[in-house]
Amino acid sequence: MAKFYTGRDGRLLIDGTEQIKVSNWTLTGSLEVLETTTLGESQRAYTPGVQEFNGSATLLYYKDDAGRNDAATALKKVLRVSGVSSSDTVTMRLRLVDGNTNSDVQLTAYITSVTFGASVGEVSSAQISFQGTGALTAVTI
Amino acid sequence: MAFPTALRPTSRGYSPGDYPVKTYNANNGAEVRILYGSAPFNMTMDLSYDNITDAQADEFLTHYYQMQGTFQTFEIPSTASTFAGWTGGANSLNRASSGAVWRYSEPPQQQTVRPGISSVSVRLVGVLS
Repeated sequence: MAKFYTGRDGRLLIDGTEQIKVSNWTLTGSLEVLETTTLGESQRAYTPGVQEFNGSATLLYYKDDAGRNDAATALKKVLRVSGVSSSDTVTMRLRLVDGNTNSDVQLTAYITSVTFGASVGEVSSAQISFQGTGALTAVTI
Repeated sequence: MAFPTALRPTSRGYSPGDYPVKTYNANNGAEVRILYGSAPFNMTMDLSYDNITDAQADEFLTHYYQMQGTFQTFEIPSTASTFAGWTGGANSLNRASSGAVWRYSEPPQQQTVRPGISSVSVRLVGVLS
């Protein structure tokens, strides 16, 4: 059945856990191209180089009745006393739902930046940015 | 194996060299020049091949080894893709008609850009055979 996807259909899973109170997510994929234009040619030519994936998400700083706070968990990937090691990756799964069908993109990523604050009259939220490492691990869009 | 003349370079720089001239300067500042030959020599040609396959890059290395580095000379036809994009005189960049041939001025420089892709720069010098 024809369908427009909206924010209602969006989901964000980090390390397999669907995050509560996500207000948005974005994913950007890019391909570096290497120029192979040679003398005598009138149009530029390229060969594919390296791919890159990165994105962002905004999680409301919300603690449920069980004490679970997904935004705090994400913030602690960067805001921590100890350093970040190469094993501190997360599995990001960005999803659009249509009934029982999920359209997913999954990647292993480092959370590279977090922004977090409080303002009068506003809900506190945490904006995170992530950088994919390696190839995408699942694409079912 | 011949010089990879089927590959078009990404860029090419050429210097026509000079004729064999001996210059004498008198004490009063006058200059006398004597021409000892009718053909130029020490032409230089800098070629770069960006983002080519490793197999194509290997052709330059293999040819360099076959030429025993800077020792042996070789010819490049004026119609070769080495001179692609040049719309001037056919013999202006290649003085083979004057008896000039090419040899490597220095070892080719190969740089791996990413797996399977290399960039190569080659410097040749034209000498009279």
